Amino acid sequence: MTFDILMQAFALVFRLDVMAIILASAAFGMFVGAMPGLTATMATALLVPVTFFLDPVPALGAIVTATAMAIFAGDIPAAIMRMPGTPASAAYTDESYAMARKGQLDLNLGVNLTTSVLGGLIGVVILVLCAPVLAEFALAFSSFEYFWLAALGLTCAVFLATDNPLKGFVSLLLGLAIGTIGIDPAAGFPRFTFGSVELMQGVSFIPAMIGMFAISEILRGATAINAPSEMITQAIGNVFRGVGSTLRKYWVNFFRGSAIGVVIGALPGAGADIAAWISFAVSKRFSKEPEKFGTGHVEGIVDAGAANNSALAAAWIPALVFGIPGDSITAIVIGVLYMKGMNPGPTVFLQNPQLIYAVFIIFVLANLLMLPLGWAAIKSARQVLRVPQNVLIPMILIFCIVGSYAMTNSYYGILIMLIMGVFAFLLEQNGFPIAPIILGLVLGEMFEQNFMTSMIKADGSFLAFFARPIAAILGISTLAIWALMIWRVGIAKQPAPAQ
Amino acid sequence: MRVNDIVSGTILIAAAAAMIAYTRTFPSFPGQHYGPDLFPRILGVLLIIFGGLLVVRGLRARVAGAPLVSAPEWATRASGLVSVGLVLGVILAFVLFQNVIGFIPLGIVSLVGLFLWFGVKPLQAGLIGVASILIIHWFFSSLMRVPLPRGLLDPFL
Repeated sequence: MTFDILMQAFALVFRLDVMAIILASAAFGMFVGAMPGLTATMATALLVPVTFFLDPVPALGAIVTATAMAIFAGDIPAAIMRMPGTPASAAYTDESYAMARKGQLDLNLGVNLTTSVLGGLIGVVILVLCAPVLAEFALAFSSFEYFWLAALGLTCAVFLATDNPLKGFVSLLLGLAIGTIGIDPAAGFPRFTFGSVELMQGVSFIPAMIGMFAISEILRGATAINAPSEMITQAIGNVFRGVGSTLRKYWVNFFRGSAIGVVIGALPGAGADIAAWISFAVSKRFSKEPEKFGTGHVEGIVDAGAANNSALAAAWIPALVFGIPGDSITAIVIGVLYMKGMNPGPTVFLQNPQLIYAVFIIFVLANLLMLPLGWAAIKSARQVLRVPQNVLIPMILIFCIVGSYAMTNSYYGILIMLIMGVFAFLLEQNGFPIAPIILGLVLGEMFEQNFMTSMIKADGSFLAFFARPIAAILGISTLAIWALMIWRVGIAKQPAPAQ
Repeated sequence: MRVNDIVSGTILIAAAAAMIAYTRTFPSFPGQHYGPDLFPRILGVLLIIFGGLLVVRGLRARVAGAPLVSAPEWATRASGLVSVGLVLGVILAFVLFQNVIGFIPLGIVSLVGLFLWFGVKPLQAGLIGVASILIIHWFFSSLMRVPLPRGLLDPFL
C-alpha cells in the first residue's frame, strides 16, 4: 500500500517537465534570495501567478524549491555586502561580514551552504516522520480543537513574530476583519461587499498578498534606490576547505540549531527568520567563548545557518496537517492548496497521499540540489549582485501587475494589489507587522467557521469549549499565553520607544 | 508618513465602530442565536480595545515629546516622493487604461519611463524595456493563456 503510493509519488515527480520547473524555480529562488531587499516570501508571491496554471505537484515543487534556495542564497550578500538577502539571514549578517573582513569569506560561505543543506534535510526528515502521524491523530479533531488550534496559531504568530505584541494583535485583527468580506461561512450572507459581485468571494487572496509583500517592498526600494553599498573584493576560492573540521568541532551547535529551527518552524506563525535569531542568541548564550561573537566567529553561523533552513521545512507540518500556516510562506502555500482543490487538513493524507509524498520527495530533492546550485550561486555571486536595483525594481513592478491581473483576468486584481500594497506600506512605516495580516486573512474563514460551529454546538455554554481533553489542553495553553501577554503589557508601563 | 499612535488608534476605533454599525444591517435567522454579525462584532470590539490602548500609549509618548506626525527621510526629498508617486501612478494607469491602450504599449511606456527616472541610460532603458515587455507578454499571453488586453494593437495582433 505505502509502496504503491510512494511509486505513484515518484512517478509524479520524476517527469521531464516537473524537473525542468524545479530547476528553473531553483535558479529563480537563488536569484531572488541573493538580491538584497527581495525576500523568500516575495519569491513565493511572484511565483504564485505562474503556479496557478500548473498541476499541483509542479506548482508546490516550484514553491518548495524556490524558497529553500532563497533562504540559503540570502547568506551570500550578507557576507559579501553586509546586506542580508532575506530577513532569515539578518541574525548573523554582521558576524558573516566580520568573517569576510578577516579573510574567511570562503569558510563562511562554505559553512553557510553546508549547514543550510544538512539543516534543511533534518527539517525534511522531521516533516516526513511527523506529518502523517499527526494527521492520523488530527482525524479525531472536532470544531472545538480546530478553533483552539487556530486561536493558538494566531496567538503564537503575534507572540513570537513581533517585538510589539500590541501592534501585532492589531495587524492580526485587521487581517481577520478583511477576511470577513464576502459570503459568510455559516449562513451564506454577503458581508461588507457594498453590492460588488467581485467582493462576494472575498478579497482576492493572491493579488492582496502580492500587494502586501511585493508592492510595499517595491515602494520601499524605490525610495532608497541609490543607497551605497560596499562589496568585499576578496576572491572566492574553494568554499569547502575547512568546513568538515568546523562541523566536527561544532556538531552540537549544528544539531541544536536544526532542532530549534524545527520547533520554531512548526509553531504556527513563526518561520525561518525568527528561528535564526533565536538559535543565534542561544548559541552565544551557551558558547564557551561568547566574547568571540561579533568578531567574525563561525560558531553562531553553524547554529543559525542550520536553523533557518530546517524551519522552512518544519513550517509545512502544521500547514499540511491542520491547514494552519507555520510561516508567511506556508500561508501563501495554503492559499495555493485551496486553489488547487487540495484543502489542507488530515483528510488530504487519506485522499491524496501520493501528492503529500510527492511534496516530501521534492523537499529532499531541493535540499540535495542546493549543494551544486548553491556552489554555482556563490561562484557567480559577484556578477549576480551587480544587477542594478534601478532595472530590477521596475521589472518586478510590471511582473506584479501582470500576475495580479492574471488571477482575476480583470483590472480588479490590480486594484486589490494597489490598495493592499499602499495599506501595507503605511502600516509598516508605522511599525505594524505585515505577516499577521496575511495569517488573519488566510485563517479567517476557517477560524470563524469553527468558532460558529462550536458556538452553535455549545449553545452558549463556554465550558463546552473545554469539554474534550485535547480541546481543553489547547484552550488552556491559549488562555495562558493571553494571560502572559496581558501581564507583560501590564508591567511594561513605560512609553513605547519612538520608532 | 509616520503618525503618533494617537492618530492610528483613533482611526482604528472609528473604523471598528463603523464596522459594528454596519453589522446591524445583517439579517438574523429565526431559531439561530448566532448570525453572520457575531464574528465581525467581536473583532470590532477587540479592535476598539486595542485602538484605545494605542491611544493611551501615543498620549504617553506625546507627553514625552514625540511629534504627532513626522515625515520619514524619503518624504523630505522631492525625488523620494516622485519615485513613490511614479510607482503608484503606473499601477493606477494599468487599472484605468490597460483595456483601452493595451498591455504592450502601456507596459513599454511605463517600464521605460521608470528606468529613465531611476537613472538607467536611455539606450539601455529602451532596449531592456521593449525586450522585457515582449517576453512577459509572450510568457503570460501565449504560454499561460492570460487574456492580456490588446488595446491599440488589436488590429495587428
